[in-house]
Amino acid sequence: MVEIDVLQVTTFVVILVVALAWYLSYSAARLDRLHAKVEGAMSALDAQLVRRAEATLELANSGVLEPASALLLADAATESLERVTEHPLDDDLLDGQHFGGREDVEAALSEALAATLTEETVSHLREDDDELVDDALSRIASSALRARMARQFHNDAVREVRRVRAKWVVRWFRLAGHAALPERVEFDDELPAALAR
Amino acid sequence: MVCPYSFDVPGGVQFHVRDLAEVFLAQGHEVSVLAPADEDGDLPPYLVSCGRAVPVRYNGSVARLTFGPVTSARVGRWLESGGFDLVHLHEPVTPSVSLMALWAAEEPVVATFHTSTTRSRAMHAAQPLLRTSLEKIRARIAVSEAAAGTVRSHLGGDTYIIPNGVHVRRFAQAAVRQEWEGVPGAPTLAFLGRVDEPRKGLHVALDALPGVLDQHPGVRLLVAGPGDAGEILAHADPRAVAATTLLGAVSDVDKASLLASVDLYLAPHLGGESFGIVLVEAMAAGAPVVASDLEAFSRVLDGGRAGVVVRTGDATALGGAVVELLADPARRDLLCLRGRERAPEFDWGPVSRQVMAVYETVLAGVGVHHPESRGGLWGRLVGGSSTNGQR
Repeated sequence: MVEIDVLQVTTFVVILVVALAWYLSYSAARLDRLHAKVEGAMSALDAQLVRRAEATLELANSGVLEPASALLLADAATESLERVTEHPLDDDLLDGQHFGGREDVEAALSEALAATLTEETVSHLREDDDELVDDALSRIASSALRARMARQFHNDAVREVRRVRAKWVVRWFRLAGHAALPERVEFDDELPAALAR
Repeated sequence: MVCPYSFDVPGGVQFHVRDLAEVFLAQGHEVSVLAPADEDGDLPPYLVSCGRAVPVRYNGSVARLTFGPVTSARVGRWLESGGFDLVHLHEPVTPSVSLMALWAAEEPVVATFHTSTTRSRAMHAAQPLLRTSLEKIRARIAVSEAAAGTVRSHLGGDTYIIPNGVHVRRFAQAAVRQEWEGVPGAPTLAFLGRVDEPRKGLHVALDALPGVLDQHPGVRLLVAGPGDAGEILAHADPRAVAATTLLGAVSDVDKASLLASVDLYLAPHLGGESFGIVLVEAMAAGAPVVASDLEAFSRVLDGGRAGVVVRTGDATALGGAVVELLADPARRDLLCLRGRERAPEFDWGPVSRQVMAVYETVLAGVGVHHPESRGGLWGRLVGGSSTNGQR
């Protein structure tokens, strides 16, 4: 008959439990870091989109554009700002960290910018040497560029979170808590070519 | 900023790090560069050496890298004493200081990938080993479409592309040197790059030369670059050898002058070029470019608008294009003009602004904290499901 050494078994079990606990806390910390990364990128994206809409609205209201272009831009920019200020929490499980279906609105603003700020228009605007207009243009350009970067960094972080959250240890032990599974944000964020340089 | 390769030896990544650091310093930012370097050597003030580099065979070529516990401790000290807002690593998958810094960094990390290889064994092997470390990277930058493709195939996901920068003004204002300048009847062509490295394509240029000499007997090929050309010249046509002048390794100033002086710049590279910075330098200096139709080159040349592209490795096509251009000064002037227009897009000015925009985007997201307070692991295990129900 095989004699069971209680001490040996206990030691073994303890080691196993400690190892598991370490692995769990390690995985949880890793996931936390990834979630923080997603949220950071999302908030950067959000901030830059607000900046873009504000600068666009400023340009539209400056009176230097012809009225049709100005109206187009003002409409798209207002829509974007309204979505942020009025319904930020719609369908928002991450407490302000969710994109909340704003893709269409932001894509519409990108489109309006591309349609109105053509090479010709921009070089005309720059010729006037109006400080306010130049400032608005450069703010649109810089925020659009940063929004574009932030969106890409966000999507990359989302990919990493999703991969880690698909692991058995995360699913079995609910390491993600009640954080919603982050989703990629996809919309047309092309800069108007005339502002791209 | 962390550079994995030794700062004593010239190289693309080192120049990139040096230029970027100097541009940011000039703009008033605080920059510290950590890289392997010989401490006795003449080092710039912003450079912190992490020890001497050892030549190691890595990923198919010999690289000068540093590793080991001493270096690792130095990396830790540098990070600790620096109090940096952000750490920018170059080539984070190279087994050198960048990787160590990635391991140790608590600061937000930005990483730039430079290499483009079809298959990197290291990146592949690194998958499980480095995954968690790589997750620390908040923003990934690639210097070219090709480098981004390499990252995509090994690590997945998209990478933001910010090209290499060139000090366009330095090349645009380079002085013309009479001995390199072409005269009617004796035009000059330039080749730059290691002469004994086949993928730079010197042998293609030499094979193309006899055909050019038939039409323009006075033509001269000026070859600037380190390496031993003995073997390659021994295999070349004697007429081509006679028309070739070897300048050896040249300084940055001479390189700019050479490009500013010649009638044509040839880039017969066979591959392995992820960006083609020398093409931008040639364009900035006003040399019309004849290049292989590598993807990176076509992109730099605006799809052939700012330079002539010929089939890669095709000496006859290269020769034909050279003959045609030498006979057509108006076309050369046009290419020169378009090149000068195109080059500023790759200037360090706009390039560094983009890199700074990445830093700002990353830093904007750092202060943001998890809105939910979690009572550690236990709270998550127990609380996770119950709060889920309340929502």
